[in-house]
Amino acid sequence: MGDSQSEELIPTVNSNEQIIIETQGLTREFNETLAVDSLDLSIRRGELFGLVGPDGAGKTTTLRLLTGLLKITSGSGSLAGFDLATQPEEIKRHIGYMAQEFSLYSELTVLENLRFFSELFDVAAEDFALRSEHLLEFAALSPFRNRRADHLSGGMQKMLALASTLIHEHEILILDEPTTGVDPISRREFWDILAELYDNRTTVIVSTPYMDEADRCSRVGLMYEGRMVVCDSPEAIRDQLEGEVVHVRPDDWQAARVVLGELPGILETQSYGESIHLLVDSAEVRIPEIELALKENGVGIKEIRPAPARMEEAFISLIRGLAAHEDAPEKP
Amino acid sequence: MSLRHIFAVVRKEIQHILRDRSTFVLVLLAPTAMMLLMAYALTVDIQHVPIAVLDYDRSPTSRNFVQQITAGDDLDLYAQVSSLEEIETLLMRGEIKVALILAPGFARDIRSLRGMPLQIIIDGTEPQSGAFAVEHVGWRAEEFLNQALSAQMGALGVTQGISQPIDLRVRAWYNPSLKPRVDMIPGLISMVLGFPALSVALTLAHEREHGTLEQLMATPITRAELLLGKMIPYILVGLVNVIIIPLLAMLLFRIPFNGNFIVFFLLSAVFLFAILGMGLIIGVFMKTQPAALALSFLLIFFPGFFMTGIFFPIASMPEVMRMEALALPGTHYAIITRGVFLTGVGLEVLWPYGVMLAGLGVIFLAIAGLFFRKRLG
Repeated sequence: MGDSQSEELIPTVNSNEQIIIETQGLTREFNETLAVDSLDLSIRRGELFGLVGPDGAGKTTTLRLLTGLLKITSGSGSLAGFDLATQPEEIKRHIGYMAQEFSLYSELTVLENLRFFSELFDVAAEDFALRSEHLLEFAALSPFRNRRADHLSGGMQKMLALASTLIHEHEILILDEPTTGVDPISRREFWDILAELYDNRTTVIVSTPYMDEADRCSRVGLMYEGRMVVCDSPEAIRDQLEGEVVHVRPDDWQAARVVLGELPGILETQSYGESIHLLVDSAEVRIPEIELALKENGVGIKEIRPAPARMEEAFISLIRGLAAHEDAPEKP
Repeated sequence: MSLRHIFAVVRKEIQHILRDRSTFVLVLLAPTAMMLLMAYALTVDIQHVPIAVLDYDRSPTSRNFVQQITAGDDLDLYAQVSSLEEIETLLMRGEIKVALILAPGFARDIRSLRGMPLQIIIDGTEPQSGAFAVEHVGWRAEEFLNQALSAQMGALGVTQGISQPIDLRVRAWYNPSLKPRVDMIPGLISMVLGFPALSVALTLAHEREHGTLEQLMATPITRAELLLGKMIPYILVGLVNVIIIPLLAMLLFRIPFNGNFIVFFLLSAVFLFAILGMGLIIGVFMKTQPAALALSFLLIFFPGFFMTGIFFPIASMPEVMRMEALALPGTHYAIITRGVFLTGVGLEVLWPYGVMLAGLGVIFLAIAGLFFRKRLG
């Protein structure tokens, strides 16, 4: 795969100065709970880095530590050459940050929100005129420039939040779950815009609970219970998945799950709406066995086929492995 | 310190005040409404207190006395009774607040200059009407005795060398009719200007709850810029109230405005600076709007009511409370408002209070700035 090769080439071609964000043992405690546990992170200039993981994994805390909004409990880190612990105000000048619940000022119009943030970031008035036009176009908000923010749809609000974040020039864009609660079409548009930024060589760090979005990143870090479980390109993460995926759509989902749970060679079952994704050691061998077992138990099959492994399967599998590992020693 | 940053926050805040209905009501209408409500409710003149009379004497003099006492609007003769039990029944039912008992020999004692055998029973559960009645009866009785005495002297042929036995002339300067309203209303202005302070506390808590504060913290704005940007718009709306309220006081309550309006306006701006500093401290420490609201009542409104000398003279407070009163902007502003409205004094007298307010404002703002962190958690 071409992408993963070029990923590996970058550090050798470019020197270490291309590392724009780096942390060593970054840790943050809340009341003796480790929200972020000894995180080692190294992000190169121009990456579109995805931070994924279930709710409570520590994604938001990590991003807040990187923006200087939260104090570090232990460890160290730097962003654009500034120390996370001692230079939070310098860092703020170099980043665009969109908080998870980015709230716009609901009584202000689209344009007024943009102007407010441009002034706080000392954008010159002439630059503001140009940039705001461009961004409104970009975010498809031009017709709504004089509409109050609270009268925009959820998707448009996210677009405005992104535009407000982009209103000033910065080297690094940090976005905390920018697409949570947004409809699929707006999500796609949002990611198209991010992809364009990535092409412009802005460094983007984005957290998301959606695994399909992780596929669009150049590199992905999976967080679980405050720790970075895996950090690699999407292709490499998919390759880590042992076995193959079989997609089954039975007519009786409940019965099918019971039957499938007893079959040999099935490593995992994951539910997808009416379908079941099975992680098997070999699709070729197991598909006929699955068909037979379901038929014998009177479960009809609407569809059965081998499916490509997606990030989703890979992550769920990884996390389940970890959870099982953790549970084991606690059992007497 | 970037003026552009401050101005950006000021403009945003003014747009918020003008467009958010609840904030608009809170800062621009509530002070006026509260002022009217309190002025009417707290300063009602006591009138028409119902009394019962138990007259054991039944003489022309005693009847004459009862008639004189109930002649005005102050005391109304509710019932003539013939026993103590009846008085008790009426008091218990709440039909009367006060009862007068004229002892046997009432007329005889007065005629022989032995005094006036009169008993007043008041309903202790409502001491205000009672105290009013006692004062009123005493005053009328004195008048009645003076008349009786003069009549006696006249009958004896003595017309010279005798004056009224009691001749105390009380004259209340600056408030000739001693109407409570006149001295309360200027004091109440300092209370109702607590609303802009409450609003500034709420707006900080609101931004924290709403997530916009996190966004602001991730911008290069400094703490001082943000706090000043928050404060200035509320000083401006407070000053709108400073224009409206004196007009209302003069038109509706006939309060004199004897001083200089410019002086009043300037000192009011300094007062707003100080009280908004308190509001900012509350907003910095309280994480949610309900908490900010509760603390505003505890720190701004309750002390503003009871400790700034509007209702109770500061001189009669225990020493600890007197010290606390000095730290309250309302204490100094109450002196300023009374001075400007009633006494008509100017800066030559009031400047120390202005200096105190400015000092308090600087201290409050410094505390707010010190504890406001551009960090979460």
